[in-house]
Amino acid sequence: MSATEARPGTKVILIVDDDEDFVTTVRAVLEREGYTVVQADSGAEGLRLLRQHHPDLMVLDVMMESTTEGYGVTEAIKYTDEYNAFQQTPIIMVSSIQESPDERFPRAPEVDMIRPDRYMTKPLDLARFLEIVRKILRR
Amino acid sequence: MDVSGEGETVVVIDDDYAMRLSCDQTLAKVGYTVAAFADGARGLEAVGELKPGLVVVDLKMPGLSGLEVITRLHEIDPAITIVVITGYATIGTAVDAMKAGAYDFLPKPFSPDELRLIVRRGFERRHLQLESRRHEVERELQRRRFVTFVTHQLKTPLAAVHQYLDVLRELGDDPEAAAKRRDWLGRCLARTDELRRIIDDWLTLAELQGGTFTRQRVRVDLKEVLARAATAYEGLAAQNNVTLALELPAPAYAIRGDPTCVSVLFDNLVTNAIKYNRAGGRVSIRAVEARGEIVAEVTDTGVGVAHAALPFLFDEFFRVRRPGRPRVEGTGLGLAICRRIVTEMGGVIEVESTEDVGSTFRVRLPAWAEGADAP
Repeated sequence: MSATEARPGTKVILIVDDDEDFVTTVRAVLEREGYTVVQADSGAEGLRLLRQHHPDLMVLDVMMESTTEGYGVTEAIKYTDEYNAFQQTPIIMVSSIQESPDERFPRAPEVDMIRPDRYMTKPLDLARFLEIVRKILRR
Repeated sequence: MDVSGEGETVVVIDDDYAMRLSCDQTLAKVGYTVAAFADGARGLEAVGELKPGLVVVDLKMPGLSGLEVITRLHEIDPAITIVVITGYATIGTAVDAMKAGAYDFLPKPFSPDELRLIVRRGFERRHLQLESRRHEVERELQRRRFVTFVTHQLKTPLAAVHQYLDVLRELGDDPEAAAKRRDWLGRCLARTDELRRIIDDWLTLAELQGGTFTRQRVRVDLKEVLARAATAYEGLAAQNNVTLALELPAPAYAIRGDPTCVSVLFDNLVTNAIKYNRAGGRVSIRAVEARGEIVAEVTDTGVGVAHAALPFLFDEFFRVRRPGRPRVEGTGLGLAICRRIVTEMGGVIEVESTEDVGSTFRVRLPAWAEGADAP
């Protein structure tokens, strides 16, 4: 996957989504703001790039290739030793599914395993998305 | 009787001490946990706490009547199973009790075996009811998951277009931006096209499922259908650098079916075989007649399908994963439509596949029998 060489001081954002058009637009607005963007088109590739690039933020799609792969990625980060170092990496989960994991699976204890820092539905309100990205990266 | 009531709780409500004792002993002997009470009020209180699966109620008691007890029991637990015991004089009331929702009644005097039998049957019915309720809940959950999924598939291309338009608004006028604009507008058109195709396919599937599709049962010659599909997709095959080969030695392969549906079926199979092929690959289309069936096969030399994915291949919106390869255009509904069409016509569709070698889709359809029931 293509990755712009990170300039010193710029924040790195990893987008994990198999919809190339979605990535193109999000990438365009993030790069315009000066962020470095790395992209992956599957959960497995996303986890690989996470270890490789240590991004400051992950934008993660839920449905990739007919399965809820995004949930699997959050679960892997939270619950496997391999990804211990990334437990604090903030995640914005994005999807065309209207409900967040908490709304989709109310009262299910398992929802803890897949809960992201933020949930946003597609299409993204790009201005609001940038605001949230800035806020998270200031922390 | 070697029936175990292990783990099941029964509450007995009867004002007759001897009857309470005998029910308790009879049922406890085969493992039931039994609690017996002399009147309706105390019995109901206990039911709230003990949550028994079954209650044995005497109809004729001082204080709350058996009928009142039945009504109140159903208020506490609508799924509770109730057996009434009654003297001969109150058979008419027993019928009322059944109407009020009691499961069965046992006229006095009865033997221990009769009591155990009726209690066992009562529990069996209760378990069946609970099971079917669980199935209903599961079906409802599944239905909701499906609606979420379909909505997601429809919204995804729309979201992509929306975001392009949003970014295009802010794009400058320099040559680099102009090139981007052309590219992105092209992508918007492609995604709206995709959405239209998903909706069309979804409608086709809904019509097939809803039975509103006009279905003829006439003689259809697969030789013609397959030859027509091969000609129609010659261009697509050339684009993908794939050769098409027809192996149809017999003069005709007549089946009994709907001509439009049969065309849709093989159009889908042939285009899939082309799209999921490799450059320089081949698509073979064969048919044979065997034992009253026409067997048609479409074989490709393409990516194949992982063994684990085969059971889902004909499901709505299932797409074959091809890591590291360009995405194949498609709605994910083609094979679901194929399966529906084949089933409707009384046939079977099967797939054999080896990853990186290719797949064979085999359709078995009833052969046309001259003189058989005309449509």
